Amino acid sequence: MGRVIVVTSGKGGVGKTTTSASISVGLALKGYTVAVIDFDVGLRNLDLMMGCEKNIVHDFLNVAKNQASITQALIADKWVKNLYILASSQTGNKDDLTTQGVSKVIDALKKAGFDFIICDSPAGIEKGAKLALHYADEAIVITNPEITSVRDADRILGVIQDTSKRSKENKSPVLEHLVLTRYQPTKVKNGEMLAVDKIVTMLDIPLLGVVPEAEQVLSAINSGRPVILDKGTDVSEAYKDIVARLLGEDCQQRFLTEPKKGFFSRIFK
Amino acid sequence: MSQAINLQETVFSVTVLNILSDDIEQVKSEINQHIKKNYSLFTGKSVVIEPKIELNDPVFLALLVEFLYQLEIIPVAIRTQNEKIKLQAEYAGLAVFSEAFDKTKIEDEKIFDQTLSIKTALIINNVRSGQHIYAKNRDLIVMGYVNPGAEVIADGNVHIYGKILGKVFAGASGLKQAKIFANNLNPEMLSIAGRYQLSGKINKNYKQCFVEVSLDSESSSIKYRKVLWDE
Repeated sequence: MGRVIVVTSGKGGVGKTTTSASISVGLALKGYTVAVIDFDVGLRNLDLMMGCEKNIVHDFLNVAKNQASITQALIADKWVKNLYILASSQTGNKDDLTTQGVSKVIDALKKAGFDFIICDSPAGIEKGAKLALHYADEAIVITNPEITSVRDADRILGVIQDTSKRSKENKSPVLEHLVLTRYQPTKVKNGEMLAVDKIVTMLDIPLLGVVPEAEQVLSAINSGRPVILDKGTDVSEAYKDIVARLLGEDCQQRFLTEPKKGFFSRIFK
Repeated sequence: MSQAINLQETVFSVTVLNILSDDIEQVKSEINQHIKKNYSLFTGKSVVIEPKIELNDPVFLALLVEFLYQLEIIPVAIRTQNEKIKLQAEYAGLAVFSEAFDKTKIEDEKIFDQTLSIKTALIINNVRSGQHIYAKNRDLIVMGYVNPGAEVIADGNVHIYGKILGKVFAGASGLKQAKIFANNLNPEMLSIAGRYQLSGKINKNYKQCFVEVSLDSESSSIKYRKVLWDE
Protein backbone atom coordinates (compact mmCIF):
# COMPACT_ATOMS: atom_id res chain seq x y z
CA MET A 1 0.00 0.00 0.00
CA GLY A 2 1.42 3.36 -1.02
CA ARG A 3 2.47 5.82 1.66
CA VAL A 4 1.03 9.28 1.09
CA ILE A 5 3.40 11.87 2.55
CA VAL A 6 2.73 15.59 2.58
CA VAL A 7 5.64 18.01 2.75
CA THR A 8 4.36 21.15 4.40
CA SER A 9 5.42 24.09 6.57
CA GLY A 10 2.89 26.86 6.85
CA LYS A 11 5.52 29.46 6.09
CA GLY A 12 6.79 30.01 2.57
CA GLY A 13 10.39 29.76 1.44
CA VAL A 14 11.62 27.34 4.08
CA GLY A 15 12.47 24.56 1.64
CA LYS A 16 9.34 22.50 1.04
CA THR A 17 9.88 22.03 -2.66
CA THR A 18 13.64 21.50 -2.33
CA THR A 19 12.95 18.82 0.27
CA SER A 20 10.14 17.22 -1.77
CA ALA A 21 12.41 17.00 -4.79
CA SER A 22 15.35 15.54 -2.89
CA ILE A 23 13.32 13.07 -0.85
CA SER A 24 11.52 11.85 -3.97
CA VAL A 25 14.80 11.33 -5.81
CA GLY A 26 16.34 9.66 -2.75
CA LEU A 27 13.47 7.20 -2.40
CA ALA A 28 13.59 6.41 -6.13
CA LEU A 29 17.36 5.83 -5.89
CA LYS A 30 16.61 3.19 -3.26
CA GLY A 31 14.44 1.38 -5.80
CA TYR A 32 10.97 2.49 -4.75
CA THR A 33 8.43 3.82 -7.24
CA VAL A 34 7.63 7.40 -6.37
CA ALA A 35 5.13 9.98 -7.59
CA VAL A 36 5.63 13.58 -6.53
CA ILE A 37 2.75 16.02 -6.89
CA ASP A 38 3.05 19.80 -6.94
CA PHE A 39 -0.03 21.13 -5.11
CA ASP A 40 0.86 24.76 -5.64
CA VAL A 41 -1.70 25.57 -8.32
CA GLY A 42 -0.90 28.85 -10.00
CA LEU A 43 2.65 29.07 -8.63
CA ARG A 44 4.30 25.90 -9.79
CA ASN A 45 7.94 25.41 -8.88
CA LEU A 46 8.62 21.72 -8.56
CA ASP A 47 9.00 21.25 -12.31
CA LEU A 48 11.80 23.81 -12.34
CA MET A 49 13.62 22.13 -9.48
CA MET A 50 13.36 18.76 -11.22
CA GLY A 51 14.33 20.27 -14.57
CA CYS A 52 11.23 19.02 -16.38
CA GLU A 53 9.51 22.34 -17.08
CA LYS A 54 9.76 21.84 -20.85
CA ASN A 55 8.01 18.47 -20.79
CA ILE A 56 4.65 19.42 -19.31
CA VAL A 57 1.70 18.68 -21.55
CA HIS A 58 -1.01 17.86 -19.02
CA ASP A 59 -0.96 18.85 -15.37
CA PHE A 60 -2.46 18.01 -11.98
CA LEU A 61 -5.51 20.20 -12.54
CA ASN A 62 -6.25 18.51 -15.90
CA VAL A 63 -6.34 15.12 -14.17
CA ALA A 64 -8.37 16.40 -11.23
CA LYS A 65 -10.91 17.86 -13.65
CA ASN A 66 -11.08 14.73 -15.82
CA GLN A 67 -9.47 16.45 -18.78
CA ALA A 68 -6.56 14.03 -18.94
CA SER A 69 -5.67 10.62 -17.57
CA ILE A 70 -3.06 10.13 -14.88
CA THR A 71 -0.76 8.27 -17.28
CA GLN A 72 -0.89 11.18 -19.71
CA ALA A 73 0.01 13.68 -17.03
CA LEU A 74 2.83 11.87 -15.19
CA ILE A 75 6.26 12.98 -16.38
CA ALA A 76 9.14 10.52 -16.08
CA ASP A 77 12.03 12.11 -14.20
CA LYS A 78 15.20 12.69 -16.17
CA TRP A 79 17.58 11.97 -13.27
CA VAL A 80 16.37 8.68 -11.83
CA LYS A 81 14.21 5.72 -12.79
CA ASN A 82 10.95 4.99 -10.94
CA LEU A 83 10.26 8.67 -10.26
CA TYR A 84 7.31 10.46 -11.84
CA ILE A 85 6.30 14.08 -11.49
CA LEU A 86 2.77 15.44 -11.58
CA ALA A 87 3.30 19.10 -12.32
CA SER A 88 0.95 21.76 -11.13
CA SER A 89 -1.01 24.09 -13.34
CA GLN A 90 0.48 27.53 -13.81
CA THR A 91 -2.71 29.10 -15.12
CA GLY A 92 -5.49 28.07 -12.74
CA ASN A 93 -5.82 29.11 -9.13
CA LYS A 94 -6.10 27.24 -5.86
CA ASP A 95 -9.89 27.34 -5.86
CA ASP A 96 -10.04 25.19 -8.98
CA LEU A 97 -8.86 22.24 -6.92
CA THR A 98 -11.54 20.22 -5.11
CA THR A 99 -11.49 17.39 -2.57
CA GLN A 100 -13.06 15.06 -5.14
CA GLY A 101 -10.47 16.02 -7.75
CA VAL A 102 -7.58 15.39 -5.35
CA SER A 103 -9.09 12.15 -4.12
CA LYS A 104 -9.36 10.95 -7.72
CA VAL A 105 -5.69 11.64 -8.38
CA ILE A 106 -4.45 10.06 -5.13
CA ASP A 107 -6.62 6.97 -5.66
CA ALA A 108 -5.38 6.60 -9.23
CA LEU A 109 -1.75 6.82 -8.06
CA LYS A 110 -2.36 4.28 -5.29
CA LYS A 111 -4.03 1.97 -7.78
CA ALA A 112 -1.08 2.33 -10.14
CA GLY A 113 1.00 0.80 -7.35
CA PHE A 114 3.30 3.64 -6.35
CA ASP A 115 5.22 2.95 -3.14
CA PHE A 116 5.39 6.62 -2.21
CA ILE A 117 3.17 9.54 -3.12
CA ILE A 118 4.83 12.80 -2.10
CA CYS A 119 2.57 15.86 -1.94
CA ASP A 120 4.45 19.14 -2.14
CA SER A 121 2.16 21.56 -0.32
CA PRO A 122 1.83 25.27 -1.05
CA ALA A 123 2.59 27.71 1.75
CA GLY A 124 -0.20 28.99 3.97
CA ILE A 125 -3.08 27.27 5.71
CA GLU A 126 -5.71 27.93 3.08
CA LYS A 127 -7.48 25.58 0.74
CA GLY A 128 -4.43 24.50 -1.27
CA ALA A 129 -2.44 23.52 1.81
CA LYS A 130 -5.45 21.83 3.42
CA LEU A 131 -6.11 19.75 0.31
CA ALA A 132 -2.44 18.73 0.13
CA LEU A 133 -2.55 17.34 3.66
CA HIS A 134 -6.10 15.99 3.49
CA TYR A 135 -5.21 12.48 2.29
CA ALA A 136 -1.82 12.26 3.98
CA ASP A 137 -0.76 9.26 6.07
CA GLU A 138 2.40 11.06 7.10
CA ALA A 139 3.52 14.65 7.22
CA ILE A 140 7.01 16.08 6.93
CA VAL A 141 6.93 19.51 8.50
CA ILE A 142 9.75 21.80 7.38
CA THR A 143 10.98 24.64 9.51
CA ASN A 144 13.92 27.03 9.63
CA PRO A 145 15.70 27.85 12.86
CA GLU A 146 13.78 31.07 13.40
CA ILE A 147 10.84 31.78 15.65
CA THR A 148 8.36 32.79 12.93
CA SER A 149 8.67 29.61 10.95
CA VAL A 150 8.55 27.49 14.12
CA ARG A 151 5.30 29.21 15.07
CA ASP A 152 3.88 28.52 11.61
CA ALA A 153 5.00 24.91 11.81
CA ASP A 154 3.12 24.60 15.10
CA ARG A 155 0.06 26.07 13.40
CA ILE A 156 0.21 23.65 10.48
CA LEU A 157 0.58 20.71 12.90
CA GLY A 158 -2.66 21.85 14.50
CA VAL A 159 -4.32 22.06 11.10
CA ILE A 160 -3.16 18.51 10.34
CA GLN A 161 -4.65 17.30 13.62
CA ASP A 162 -7.92 19.07 12.95
CA THR A 163 -8.59 18.72 9.24
CA SER A 164 -6.82 15.68 7.79
CA LYS A 165 -9.01 12.85 6.54
CA ARG A 166 -7.43 10.49 9.07
CA SER A 167 -8.44 12.68 11.99
CA LYS A 168 -11.93 13.23 10.61
CA GLU A 169 -12.45 9.47 10.28
CA ASN A 170 -10.94 8.85 13.73
CA LYS A 171 -8.18 6.69 12.32
CA SER A 172 -4.71 6.57 13.81
CA PRO A 173 -3.31 10.09 13.54
CA VAL A 174 -1.09 11.36 10.77
CA LEU A 175 2.54 10.42 11.48
CA GLU A 176 4.51 13.64 11.94
CA HIS A 177 8.18 14.22 11.12
CA LEU A 178 10.23 17.35 11.57
CA VAL A 179 12.88 18.52 9.11
CA LEU A 180 14.97 21.51 10.07
CA THR A 181 16.55 23.25 7.08
CA ARG A 182 19.12 26.04 6.66
CA TYR A 183 20.69 25.20 9.98
CA GLN A 184 23.94 26.98 10.87
CA PRO A 185 25.66 25.46 13.93
CA THR A 186 28.13 28.37 14.11
CA LYS A 187 25.32 30.88 14.54
CA VAL A 188 23.62 28.66 17.08
CA LYS A 189 26.86 28.54 19.05
CA ASN A 190 26.98 32.33 19.01
CA GLY A 191 23.41 32.50 20.21
CA GLU A 192 22.10 34.07 17.00
CA MET A 193 19.97 31.12 15.94
CA LEU A 194 17.52 28.77 17.65
CA ALA A 195 19.10 25.46 18.62
CA VAL A 196 17.72 22.22 17.23
CA ASP A 197 16.80 20.75 20.63
CA LYS A 198 14.89 23.88 21.53
CA ILE A 199 12.85 23.64 18.32
CA VAL A 200 12.17 19.95 18.89
CA THR A 201 10.96 20.72 22.43
CA MET A 202 8.73 23.49 21.16
CA LEU A 203 7.09 21.43 18.45
CA ASP A 204 7.27 18.10 20.27
CA ILE A 205 7.45 15.84 17.20
CA PRO A 206 10.24 13.44 16.19
CA LEU A 207 13.17 14.93 14.28
CA LEU A 208 13.66 13.35 10.87
CA GLY A 209 16.76 15.32 10.05
CA VAL A 210 18.67 18.58 9.96
CA VAL A 211 19.83 20.08 6.67
CA PRO A 212 22.67 22.58 7.00
CA GLU A 213 22.69 25.90 5.20
CA ALA A 214 24.79 25.62 2.03
CA GLU A 215 25.41 27.50 -1.17
CA GLN A 216 24.96 24.40 -3.32
CA VAL A 217 21.20 24.51 -2.72
CA LEU A 218 20.81 27.73 -4.70
CA SER A 219 22.84 26.51 -7.65
CA ALA A 220 21.00 23.19 -7.59
CA ILE A 221 17.65 24.97 -7.73
CA ASN A 222 18.73 27.17 -10.61
CA SER A 223 20.13 24.28 -12.60
CA GLY A 224 17.03 22.09 -12.11
CA ARG A 225 18.98 19.25 -10.51
CA PRO A 226 17.79 18.08 -7.07
CA VAL A 227 20.49 18.79 -4.50
CA ILE A 228 20.57 15.21 -3.23
CA LEU A 229 22.30 14.22 -6.49
CA ASP A 230 25.40 16.27 -5.61
CA LYS A 231 28.31 14.10 -4.61
CA GLY A 232 29.68 14.30 -1.08
CA THR A 233 28.19 17.61 0.04
CA ASP A 234 26.71 18.03 3.51
CA VAL A 235 23.29 18.86 2.11
CA SER A 236 23.07 15.79 -0.09
CA GLU A 237 24.30 13.61 2.78
CA ALA A 238 21.71 15.16 5.07
CA TYR A 239 18.93 14.36 2.60
CA LYS A 240 20.21 10.80 2.15
CA ASP A 241 20.02 10.38 5.93
CA ILE A 242 16.48 11.73 5.93
CA VAL A 243 15.44 9.24 3.25
CA ALA A 244 17.06 6.41 5.18
CA ARG A 245 15.21 7.37 8.38
CA LEU A 246 11.96 7.63 6.44
CA LEU A 247 12.54 4.00 5.43
CA GLY A 248 12.99 3.04 9.05
CA GLU A 249 16.78 2.81 9.09
CA ASP A 250 18.44 3.93 12.27
CA CYS A 251 21.16 6.45 11.56
CA GLN A 252 22.60 9.01 13.89
CA GLN A 253 21.78 12.71 13.48
CA ARG A 254 24.58 14.67 11.79
CA PHE A 255 25.30 18.32 11.03
CA LEU A 256 24.10 19.47 14.43
CA THR A 257 27.43 20.93 15.46
CA GLU A 258 30.18 22.91 13.80
CA PRO A 259 32.35 20.85 11.47
CA LYS A 260 35.74 20.25 13.03
CA LYS A 261 38.38 22.25 11.26
CA GLY A 262 41.10 20.20 9.61
CA PHE A 263 44.79 20.68 10.16
CA PHE A 264 45.33 22.87 7.08
CA SER A 265 42.38 25.15 7.53
CA ARG A 266 43.49 25.77 11.09
CA ILE A 267 46.93 26.84 9.91
CA PHE A 268 45.76 28.95 6.97
CA LYS A 269 43.03 30.70 8.84
CA MET B 1 -23.02 39.70 -6.43
CA SER B 2 -24.88 40.31 -3.21
CA GLN B 3 -26.78 37.44 -1.65
CA ALA B 4 -30.48 37.17 -2.42
CA ILE B 5 -31.37 34.64 0.28
CA ASN B 6 -29.89 32.86 3.23
CA LEU B 7 -31.14 30.02 5.37
CA GLN B 8 -31.45 30.22 9.10
CA GLU B 9 -32.79 27.75 11.61
CA THR B 10 -35.03 29.15 14.33
CA VAL B 11 -37.57 27.95 16.83
CA PHE B 12 -41.06 29.44 16.82
CA SER B 13 -43.77 29.01 19.33
CA VAL B 14 -46.95 27.91 17.61
CA THR B 15 -50.39 27.16 18.98
CA VAL B 16 -51.26 23.47 18.79
CA LEU B 17 -54.86 22.56 18.12
CA ASN B 18 -55.44 19.19 19.78
CA ILE B 19 -58.29 17.21 18.20
CA LEU B 20 -60.07 14.99 20.70
CA SER B 21 -63.06 13.97 18.64
CA ASP B 22 -63.45 12.77 15.07
CA ASP B 23 -66.90 14.37 14.78
CA ILE B 24 -66.25 17.37 12.54
CA GLU B 25 -69.44 19.19 13.55
CA GLN B 26 -68.57 18.95 17.26
CA VAL B 27 -65.04 20.21 16.58
CA LYS B 28 -66.37 23.13 14.52
CA SER B 29 -68.81 24.22 17.20
CA GLU B 30 -66.16 24.11 19.92
CA ILE B 31 -63.78 26.21 17.85
CA ASN B 32 -66.59 28.71 17.32
CA GLN B 33 -67.20 28.86 21.06
CA HIS B 34 -63.52 29.55 21.70
CA ILE B 35 -63.50 32.36 19.16
CA LYS B 36 -66.59 33.92 20.70
CA LYS B 37 -64.86 33.96 24.08
CA ASN B 38 -61.57 35.40 22.85
CA TYR B 39 -61.40 36.51 19.23
CA SER B 40 -57.77 37.64 19.16
CA LEU B 41 -56.49 34.42 20.70
CA PHE B 42 -57.09 32.53 17.50
CA THR B 43 -57.75 34.63 14.45
CA GLY B 44 -54.90 35.48 12.10
CA LYS B 45 -52.65 32.96 13.83
CA SER B 46 -51.08 29.86 12.41
CA VAL B 47 -51.75 26.59 14.17
CA VAL B 48 -50.42 23.06 14.15
CA ILE B 49 -53.09 20.38 14.28
CA GLU B 50 -52.49 17.39 16.52
CA PRO B 51 -55.10 14.62 16.45
CA LYS B 52 -55.16 12.69 19.69
CA ILE B 53 -57.51 10.05 18.31
CA GLU B 54 -57.87 8.01 15.11
CA LEU B 55 -59.48 9.99 12.31
CA ASN B 56 -61.67 7.46 10.54
CA ASP B 57 -63.45 10.00 8.35
CA PRO B 58 -61.14 10.38 5.29
CA VAL B 59 -62.26 13.95 4.62
CA PHE B 60 -62.09 15.12 8.24
CA LEU B 61 -58.81 17.01 7.79
CA ALA B 62 -59.84 18.59 4.49
CA LEU B 63 -63.06 19.87 6.07
CA LEU B 64 -61.27 21.14 9.16
CA VAL B 65 -58.62 22.97 7.10
CA GLU B 66 -61.26 24.66 5.00
CA PHE B 67 -63.21 25.66 8.12
CA LEU B 68 -60.08 27.15 9.75
CA TYR B 69 -59.27 29.17 6.66
CA GLN B 70 -62.77 30.66 6.73
CA LEU B 71 -62.07 31.82 10.30
CA GLU B 72 -58.74 33.35 9.17
CA ILE B 73 -56.78 30.74 11.08
CA ILE B 74 -53.88 29.32 9.09
CA PRO B 75 -53.19 25.64 9.60
CA VAL B 76 -49.53 25.08 8.64
CA ALA B 77 -48.80 21.56 9.69
CA ILE B 78 -49.95 18.44 11.44
CA ARG B 79 -48.15 16.51 14.15
CA THR B 80 -48.82 12.81 14.05
CA GLN B 81 -47.21 9.41 13.70
CA ASN B 82 -50.30 7.77 12.23
CA GLU B 83 -49.73 6.82 8.57
CA LYS B 84 -53.42 7.23 7.59
CA ILE B 85 -53.52 10.75 8.98
CA LYS B 86 -50.26 11.58 7.23
CA LEU B 87 -51.90 10.62 3.94
CA GLN B 88 -54.89 12.83 4.70
CA ALA B 89 -52.53 15.67 5.55
CA GLU B 90 -50.91 15.33 2.16
CA TYR B 91 -54.27 15.81 0.43
CA ALA B 92 -55.11 18.73 2.68
CA GLY B 93 -51.78 20.40 1.84
CA LEU B 94 -50.33 20.29 5.35
CA ALA B 95 -46.74 19.71 6.38
CA VAL B 96 -46.15 16.75 8.72
CA PHE B 97 -44.14 16.73 11.93
CA SER B 98 -43.73 13.10 12.76
CA GLU B 99 -41.83 13.27 16.04
CA ALA B 100 -44.23 13.29 18.95
CA PHE B 101 -43.69 15.41 21.98
CA ASP B 102 -42.44 12.81 24.39
CA LYS B 103 -42.04 13.92 27.96
CA THR B 104 -40.07 10.92 29.14
CA LYS B 105 -37.53 11.44 26.38
CA ILE B 106 -36.85 15.01 27.42
CA GLU B 107 -36.41 13.99 31.05
CA ASP B 108 -33.91 11.33 30.04
CA GLU B 109 -31.92 13.92 28.15
CA LYS B 110 -31.78 16.16 31.17
CA ILE B 111 -30.32 13.42 33.30
CA PHE B 112 -27.78 12.68 30.59
CA ASP B 113 -26.79 16.33 30.52
CA GLN B 114 -26.24 16.33 34.27
CA THR B 115 -23.86 13.42 34.09
CA LEU B 116 -22.02 15.19 31.29
CA SER B 117 -21.50 18.33 33.31
CA ILE B 118 -19.70 16.33 35.98
CA LYS B 119 -17.35 14.85 33.44
CA THR B 120 -14.05 16.53 32.72
CA ALA B 121 -12.68 17.19 29.25
CA LEU B 122 -9.28 15.56 28.85
CA ILE B 123 -6.85 16.63 26.15
CA ILE B 124 -3.83 14.34 25.91
CA ASN B 125 -2.09 16.08 23.02
CA ASN B 126 -0.41 19.43 22.76
CA VAL B 127 -2.72 22.29 21.90
CA ARG B 128 -1.06 24.02 18.98
CA SER B 129 -1.01 27.55 17.66
CA GLY B 130 -4.41 28.43 16.18
CA GLN B 131 -6.21 25.58 17.94
CA HIS B 132 -9.06 26.43 20.21
CA ILE B 133 -10.50 24.15 22.88
CA TYR B 134 -13.66 24.90 24.81
CA ALA B 135 -14.87 22.67 27.65
CA LYS B 136 -18.46 23.74 28.02
CA ASN B 137 -19.98 23.39 31.51
CA ARG B 138 -17.04 21.39 32.77
CA ASP B 139 -13.43 21.27 33.83
CA LEU B 140 -10.58 20.86 31.40
CA ILE B 141 -7.33 18.95 31.76
CA VAL B 142 -4.56 19.41 29.20
CA MET B 143 -1.72 16.91 29.47
CA GLY B 144 0.49 18.52 26.81
CA TYR B 145 1.69 21.99 26.03
CA VAL B 146 -0.50 24.99 25.31
CA ASN B 147 1.62 26.54 22.59
CA PRO B 148 1.80 30.24 21.68
CA GLY B 149 -1.31 31.28 19.77
CA ALA B 150 -3.43 28.44 21.20
CA GLU B 151 -6.50 29.00 23.40
CA VAL B 152 -7.92 26.70 26.05
CA ILE B 153 -11.22 27.66 27.61
CA ALA B 154 -13.39 26.01 30.25
CA ASP B 155 -16.51 27.02 32.14
CA GLY B 156 -14.99 25.24 35.13
CA ASN B 157 -11.38 24.83 36.31
CA VAL B 158 -8.42 24.36 33.99
CA HIS B 159 -5.52 22.04 34.81
CA ILE B 160 -2.49 22.09 32.55
CA TYR B 161 0.44 19.74 33.03
CA GLY B 162 2.59 20.91 30.10
CA LYS B 163 4.10 24.32 29.46
CA ILE B 164 1.59 27.14 29.14
CA LEU B 165 2.60 29.55 26.40
CA GLY B 166 -0.80 30.45 24.98
CA LYS B 167 -4.06 31.78 26.40
CA VAL B 168 -5.99 30.16 29.24
CA PHE B 169 -9.55 31.00 30.31
CA ALA B 170 -11.24 29.46 33.35
CA GLY B 171 -14.80 30.19 34.48
CA ALA B 172 -15.55 31.42 30.99
CA SER B 173 -19.28 31.70 31.70
CA GLY B 174 -18.72 33.74 34.81
CA LEU B 175 -17.92 31.21 37.53
CA LYS B 176 -15.77 33.26 39.89
CA GLN B 177 -14.66 30.23 41.94
CA ALA B 178 -12.96 28.72 38.90
CA LYS B 179 -9.21 28.12 39.16
CA ILE B 180 -6.26 27.48 36.92
CA PHE B 181 -3.61 24.96 37.97
CA ALA B 182 -0.28 25.17 36.21
CA ASN B 183 3.15 23.64 36.28
CA ASN B 184 5.00 25.94 33.98
CA LEU B 185 3.26 29.22 33.54
CA ASN B 186 4.35 31.61 30.83
CA PRO B 187 1.09 32.42 29.07
CA GLU B 188 0.14 35.12 26.61
CA MET B 189 -2.90 35.76 28.77
CA LEU B 190 -4.75 34.30 31.75
CA SER B 191 -8.40 34.93 32.48
CA ILE B 192 -10.81 33.87 35.22
CA ALA B 193 -14.48 34.82 34.95
CA GLY B 194 -13.72 37.72 32.64
CA ARG B 195 -10.82 39.17 34.70
CA TYR B 196 -7.57 38.87 32.79
CA GLN B 197 -3.85 39.38 33.14
CA LEU B 198 -1.13 39.52 30.50
CA SER B 199 2.17 37.70 30.70
CA GLY B 200 4.20 40.74 31.79
CA LYS B 201 2.15 41.17 34.97
CA ILE B 202 2.85 37.71 36.29
CA ASN B 203 5.50 37.51 38.98
CA LYS B 204 8.50 35.44 37.85
CA ASN B 205 8.35 33.43 41.07
CA TYR B 206 5.18 31.74 39.89
CA LYS B 207 6.39 30.74 36.44
CA GLN B 208 8.39 27.62 37.18
CA CYS B 209 6.48 25.88 39.96
CA PHE B 210 3.15 24.29 40.64
CA VAL B 211 0.81 27.22 41.07
CA GLU B 212 -2.87 27.80 41.68
CA VAL B 213 -4.42 30.85 40.03
CA SER B 214 -7.73 32.11 41.34
CA LEU B 215 -9.83 35.24 41.83
CA ASP B 216 -9.65 37.08 45.11
CA SER B 217 -13.20 37.01 46.48
CA GLU B 218 -13.05 40.62 47.75
CA SER B 219 -11.02 42.55 45.23
CA SER B 220 -11.85 40.31 42.26
CA SER B 221 -8.22 40.50 41.19
CA ILE B 222 -6.21 37.54 39.99
CA LYS B 223 -4.05 35.99 42.67
CA TYR B 224 -1.39 33.31 42.65
CA ARG B 225 -0.48 30.74 45.23
CA LYS B 226 2.44 28.33 45.16
CA VAL B 227 1.33 24.84 45.97
CA LEU B 228 3.92 23.06 48.06
CA TRP B 229 4.02 19.46 49.11
CA ASP B 230 5.88 17.95 52.02
CA GLU B 231 8.81 16.01 50.81
